[in-house]
Order: sequence, then C-alpha cells, then structure tokens
Amino acid sequence: MSTVTEAFALVLQTDVLLAILLASIYGLVVGSLPGLSATMATALLVPVTFYLSPIAAVATIIAASAMAIFSGDIPGALLRIPGTPASAAYTDEAYAMTRKGQPELALGICVWFSALGGIAGTLSLMILAPPLAEMALSFSTYEYFWLAFLGLMCATLVARSSPVKAIASMLLGLLVSCIGIENPAGTPRFTFGVTDLLGGIEPIPALVGVFAVSEVMRAMLNPEPPKLPYRRFGSILKGQLELTRTYVKPQVRGNTVGIIIGVLPGAGADMAAWVSYSMSKRLSKEPEKFGTGHPEGLIEAGASNNASLASGWVPSLLFGIPGDTITAIAIGVLYMKGLNPGPTLFTERASSMYALYIIFIIANILMIPLGIAMIRVASLVLRAPRASVMPIIVLLCAVGAFATGNNLFAVLTVAAFGVIGYVMERNGYPVAAMVLGIVMGTMVEQNLVTSLIKSDGNILPFFSRPVAAVLAAMTIAALLWPIGVRLRSWRPRSAPSA
Amino acid sequence: MAQRYTRRKLLLGGAATGAAATLGFPYVQAQGAWPNRPVTIICPWSAGGGTDATARIVAAVLEKELKQPFNVVNRTGGSGVVGHAAIATAQPDGYNIGIITVEISMMHWQGLTEFKPDSYTPLALMNEDPPGIQVNASSPYKTVRELADAIKAAAPGKMKASGTGQGGIWHLALVGWLTAMGLRPDHVAWVPLNGAAPAMQDLAAGGLDLVTCSVPEARAIIEAGKARSLAVMAAERNPAFKDVPTLKEAMGIDYTTGAWRGFAAPKGLPADIANLLTAAFKKVNEAAEFRDFMASRGFGVRWADGPGFAKFMDDGNRAMGVAMKAAGLAKG
Amino acid sequence: MQLSDRYTGLFLIALGGVAAYGGSRLPPVPGQQIGPNVFPMVVGAGLVLCGALIALGIGRGFEDEAEADLAAHSAPEFEQRQAIGWGRGLMALVPPALLLFYVFAVDRLGFLLTAAVIVLTAAFALGARLRLAVPLALGAPVFVHLVFSKLLRVPLPPGLLPAPW
Repeated sequence: MSTVTEAFALVLQTDVLLAILLASIYGLVVGSLPGLSATMATALLVPVTFYLSPIAAVATIIAASAMAIFSGDIPGALLRIPGTPASAAYTDEAYAMTRKGQPELALGICVWFSALGGIAGTLSLMILAPPLAEMALSFSTYEYFWLAFLGLMCATLVARSSPVKAIASMLLGLLVSCIGIENPAGTPRFTFGVTDLLGGIEPIPALVGVFAVSEVMRAMLNPEPPKLPYRRFGSILKGQLELTRTYVKPQVRGNTVGIIIGVLPGAGADMAAWVSYSMSKRLSKEPEKFGTGHPEGLIEAGASNNASLASGWVPSLLFGIPGDTITAIAIGVLYMKGLNPGPTLFTERASSMYALYIIFIIANILMIPLGIAMIRVASLVLRAPRASVMPIIVLLCAVGAFATGNNLFAVLTVAAFGVIGYVMERNGYPVAAMVLGIVMGTMVEQNLVTSLIKSDGNILPFFSRPVAAVLAAMTIAALLWPIGVRLRSWRPRSAPSA
Repeated sequence: MAQRYTRRKLLLGGAATGAAATLGFPYVQAQGAWPNRPVTIICPWSAGGGTDATARIVAAVLEKELKQPFNVVNRTGGSGVVGHAAIATAQPDGYNIGIITVEISMMHWQGLTEFKPDSYTPLALMNEDPPGIQVNASSPYKTVRELADAIKAAAPGKMKASGTGQGGIWHLALVGWLTAMGLRPDHVAWVPLNGAAPAMQDLAAGGLDLVTCSVPEARAIIEAGKARSLAVMAAERNPAFKDVPTLKEAMGIDYTTGAWRGFAAPKGLPADIANLLTAAFKKVNEAAEFRDFMASRGFGVRWADGPGFAKFMDDGNRAMGVAMKAAGLAKG
Repeated sequence: MQLSDRYTGLFLIALGGVAAYGGSRLPPVPGQQIGPNVFPMVVGAGLVLCGALIALGIGRGFEDEAEADLAAHSAPEFEQRQAIGWGRGLMALVPPALLLFYVFAVDRLGFLLTAAVIVLTAAFALGARLRLAVPLALGAPVFVHLVFSKLLRVPLPPGLLPAPW
C-alpha cells in the first residue's frame, strides 16, 4: 500500500498537476488544429520536458498525447479533416453526423468513449501488463504479416464506395509506401535521385494533404454551404449515458480490440481504429446505416483508439519497444529522465509506475470537461465565415508539415497529396483507403520479406505457428465473407432486373 | 506591413534593432567575441531518439559553459541524409554546428550522398557504442565460442541474425565478425528489421538466432530475462554490463567496431572558433551532468578532439568501405 | 476534374504498368529470395487489374447505392453540386500553389511575410471582403509565429522581416 501512497505523493505535486493541466490544454489545441497531428504535438514537447522533473515530464507526454488523439477527431468531425491516421477511419461517419446537424453529438461520442476507452486501456495496463507483454513477445514477423494484411482489408469496409475503387486507392497507398530506402533490401526505390525521397513519404504529410488541402481546394469551387441553424445544445454528456447503455457490446468489443492491437508494437492506435470500425460494420445489425452519421461505428472505433493508446505503453515500459510513433518518443523521454524501461521499472521503481497509472487516469478523466469545453469552442468554426477558416488551414498545413522534421520537403508532400486527394475524391476513390495503404505498406512488405528470409523461402510457418494460423484463418474468412454474402443475396436481387 | 514594423521598432527601440540584426543579417553583426548569439545544433535524427537525447544534454551543458542558448533542431528525412547534408552546407560561422553519426561513414559508399567524414570540420567525438552479440535466453549457447562453433558448423544461410536494416551498422558488425572468423559475409543470413527494438523483440519471440545490436539497446529485454548478451565487439567491457566479455577475451578475435556520435561544423570553420568549441566540448565531456546521463542510458563515453576525431572517422570510414564491399553493399 | 471511370481506370492501368516495370528493374539483393522488386511488381499488377475492372464499370453499382443512401440520410441543403467551368476549375489549384509558394519563398521573405501573403491570397480567393482579409492576414501569421517559434521552438526563418519579439 505504501507504494500507492508514495505514487500519489509523486503525482500530487504542484509542478506535476500543473504540467498535466497545461499539457492537456496544449494537446487539445494542437491536436484540434487541422494539419497538426498527435505525433507532432508529442515530438514538439520533447525539448520542453527537458526542463521538468521526471514524473512531470512523463505526465506531459501522457496527457498531451491522450488529448491530442481525441482532439484529432474535432477537425475530422467539423471540417472532414482528420488529425491522425486513426481518426481517418471514422472521419466520414463523424462528418456525416455534422451534416445532419449533430456536430456536438458526434464530438460528444468521441470525447466520452475516448475517455472510457483510455481508462479501460489504463486498467489493462495496470492489471494485465505482464500477460499482455508475453503475448506481444510471442508475435513474430509471421503474425505481423497477417495482422498487417488484415488491416489492409479494412480499406474496403470503411468507405462507402465501390470496393474496387477502395482497393485501387489502397494499392496506390502501397505504391507510395514503396518510395524510399526504408525497405527490407535497403535499396532506394522510386526516388529519382531526390535525396528527400530516400526517407519515403511520411504518412502525416500525406494525410494532411489528402484531407486538409483537398478540402480547401473543394471550398475554392463550391459555394459556401448555408450555415447550420444555431441550436443551443443541452448537456453533451446526457446523450452519451444513453448511448453507453444502448451500445454496450460495440463498446466492450472496441476496448478489447484496442487493448490487444495497442499492445502489439508497430500496429498501434492507427490500426486499432480501422479494425474496430470495420468490425463494427461487419457485426452490426444495421450496417447500411454506416457512413451516414450512425453512432455505432464511431463508438467502437473511438473506444478502440484510446484504449490502444494506453495499452501501447505496455511493451514500451516493459521492454523499451515502442508501440507506435508516440510511445517511441515517450521512450526517449523515459530514458532521458532515468526511468529506463524494463522490468526493473515495475519492481524497483514501482511507485513511479503507479504514478504513471494515476496520471493516465487523471488525464482521461480531465479529458471529459476539457474536451467538452473544447468542443463548444471548436463548434464556433462552423459558424465562422469560410473565408476566414480556410486560409488559416492552409497556413497551418504548411507550418505543421514543416515542424515535423524542420524540412520543407514535407510541405511539398502536403501540396502534392492535396492535388492527388482532390482528384481521387472527385472521382469516387476513397482517400482514407490510400492513407491506410501508406501506413500499413511498409509493415506488410517488411514482415513478408523478413519472414521468408527466416524460413528460407518456406511458407509453412505462416500457417503452422498457432497464433499465425488463427490470424490466417481470420484473414481468409474476412476475404471470403463478402463473396458469401454476395452469393446469398445474389438471386433475389438480380431476379427483378433480369 | 513595413509601416507597422517601423512603428514597432520605434516602440521597442534597441531591443528590436538587436533582434533584427542578429536574426536577419548575421554577417553585419558577426563581430565581437564568439558566441554572441544563439547557436543551432542540427540533429539529423528525430526528437526522442538516442542521438537527439545526446544532442540535447550536450546543448544544456554547453549553454551553461558558453552563456548562450544552444538550440537543438531536428532536421529529419532521407534516413539521416538530409540532416547530415544540412550540417555540411550550413554557414561555417560557428553558429551552425551539428551532431553527426556513424552513418556518415557508410551512406556515401552506397551512393546515397556525396558527403563523407571529410566534408566537415570535426570538433569532438563524444560517444561510441560497440555492438554486443545477443541470443535468446533459452538458446543452448552459453558462451560466444559455443555460438561461433555452431555458426561454423551450420550450413551457410541457416542461422539468422538481425539488429537493424540491410546495410546498417549492426549488419556490418556481423559481417566484420564473420570475416574475422574466416567465414563468408553471408554465412549467417541477415534479416532486415526496422531497428534494434524490433530485432530484440523477434529474438525473444524465437524468430532469430542472434542479434548484433549495442548492449544498451538490448538492455530492457535482457533485464526482462528474455535474452542474454554473450560478448561485445569492443576493446573493453561495458562498465554497466561487467560480466559480458569482449570478443578478444572470449575468442581471441581482435575485431571492434561501433556506432558513434560526435559534433562537427561545416567545412571552413575559422580555427579559433573551432578551438573554442572543442575546448567547450571537452568540458562537457568531463561534466558530471553529461557523464551521469550517459551512464544512466548505458551509452559509452568517448573523447577525441578535432584532429583525433578526424583520424577516428577516417579509420572507420576505410574499414566500413572494406566491410561494405565484402558484403556487396557498396556501389561501384 | 471529374473524369469518367474509363479514364481513371486507364490511368491506373498505366500507373500500375510503370510501377511494375520500374520495380522489375531493381537489382536483387544477396541473401534475400524476395528482392526489392517483388512488392512494387505485385502492387503494380494489382493496380492494372483494378484499373481494368474500373474501366469496365464493375463495382459502379455500389457507388450509386452508397450515394443514394448518403443523400437519404443528410440534410438537403448540403447536396448541391453544380457544373464548374474550366477557368473557375483552376481556382482549385490555389491552395497547393500557395503551399509551393511557401516552400520557395519562406527562406527569402521570412515566415511572417510569406504567411501574410498566403492568408491574404487564400482569403481573397474564397471571396472575402477587404475588411475580413486584411486583419486576418495581419493577425494569423503573428499568432502562428508566436505559438510555433516561441512556444514550440520551431525554427521559422526570419527572412526580410524578422519577428520583433
């Protein structure tokens, strides 16, 4: 018990609490600005943490990243500009709710279920860290290959468009991921002698381009839509309690999937939201409502998103293996502050560990009031004249892309992907599927090639390892599912038209 | 805009003039004792990594030493090429320096960049981390000699190793070790993974036979009881891992290599500024703050002044060339 | 830039073909059965296949269905798409052009000036009045500079007009 008391003593310091509060506000604001991502919010905090005490330093990272992941949903819902690759999975859904005149409901779902998911993820971190870590360590490249493949297949489900075009968009994303030297062979591919292309196309500038810039491009052509009638919303939370009761199952499923995927290093929050959203659609009783502003998928994916963020800390804290880009930065801060990741962190510095748990819980609880305040403020954007919002978005796209690596090439990437995204969107190619391809492409290739090197070209281990076999079965089932559904519904539907 | 600016300038008086002079027109102001304005340290790797952390701790101590801000700026992209090029092509005025890493002696052999170690004014070598040889905790090999015998007995390509991508520093460490044992560079197949952390994870998952990354990178997994370090390819043992022998002690093979980090300026830096900087780095290297930080992360502290660092890089560069040609990684 | 499915399909076929060809010319790497050429070739082939399907109009039915669903579930005032002439169509290129302007001008002009030009141009392109555009172009760059340069220490170039703070 004394370690817990000690942990509370560590957290209940003025500097730590102040750090949590300021980092939360910072995370909320940066995450909500179109063009700026949660990863960037975290990376820009690193120099600041240098001047803080260890617990305060880690607290800023935890608080800012949790808030920024949630508030990345805000521009997604209001302007159709997702802040992270994860929120790209359900941006269309949230935006559809805004178009139905329910922006505060959509964002309320995001904040409420994000907070609940974050708390569920933290509990998993507290109670299940050792077994979850064991599970993560049993994942070799064979398992990761199937996982990444399964992730790619979500492409066809999240967009309401022709599955052929969704696959084509996803393949375009895979092609983009081929660029650069970050492939298993270490060979420059499609770099055309350009140094900046050696590192490949980063997902964040591409995401900002295809969503934010192309949105501004559309605004240039379309007349300003009529303002939504001003409606005074009651309690944002009131509706949420009802939704929590109605959609218990999707929520539990979202949390579970989020926790499991989050624990797997390299998969992380990006994939969790995609998998959860498509799972929700597959298993829903009313899948036809998905994409039209239906809360179910939003609940499941939002819960999954933040649950995975917390559980992503398990491999980071236990083995120093980052779960995603955010924990990769967090590990650096942990080391810098002498909280070296490893099992000794759990034994010798148990009070620090408990302090981290407490910070996670505080941050997720704090997310609800701060998030609601943020939603109220951000919703004003919908009433501001478009000619004042869009120019600032362009500016933020430029600065945000530049700030990720202090490299102007990222701004060029944003511009190029703006044009690509615009053309794709106009012709019915879902851009979210391309983002998924860019995010997952390296993972698919890397794990396929390394697996084959390890097995001397033998494909048996892809099916013979127990976890790999399960994932393979899931992948094949997911592949065959739409064909089965189609076959069953073929006759009645084609009869009248024939 | 111009109008507004003038008014502000009047209001803010000297302060604004000073800022304008220092930021906008560096050469007008470049008189007086160096440093009289903030210095930028370019880091070619992203925030939060080991190189970034090293640059930031050094910057913090330099700030106290030279009474001017030292700002670390991460210039990422192109797998480190962009940042290294940015250091080499910056103004050699003492206000632009950078942290350079072992990759600068490797990338030009692959034809990825025109910049080589001699494209810089070397200032100080601060750190070197030798690779260790790690195996899974349940592996039958208790000593590096047992592992070496097993490697020799195995068919070429049967054993799998990793630690980083194809042609990365830990790949070359393996190639060097195999060559020193009289084996072909590809006798152990290299599984290219995205860094040391995924390699150690895959080692623990049973997917690899050995991992040749640095011991600090492997530390968390070793302490978790999932892996064991058998030897280090260094001249001396790592004080943080005293019971891991060197290759020379364990096998009599005198092969050493390592990933290093040092500070450099663009070519053409005036000698007096270079001397001041090197002297400051020397003080940083001896400062308790720096030593404590490096010890806490298990990073090895090294010291070499400008000429010493130049020779160190030159030797390393040639050795890399040989190893990369042997492994078929060099271009031309 | 709304093209028929036939054109976008043909474009994908061409792109996939080029990708597969470019991939096939990559040299093999010793010790790797699956070289750097395989993935681009597989992706290229996939693109060719998808392109062909799209050009032939397969899967079109889903899109019509989806659009009908969406139209049924959203507020009517949002559903207004009108034909746009070519000259006005070029306006869409203003945002990417402004980003290009940022890349090439920011080091010379400095952040504040470049940002002001971008905001002003974008605001005018969207039909803003002078009363809105000018204060916006003066205020937004200053605010963004304060946040990024001062708070987050992003090195924004000073150029001709260094920030006086």
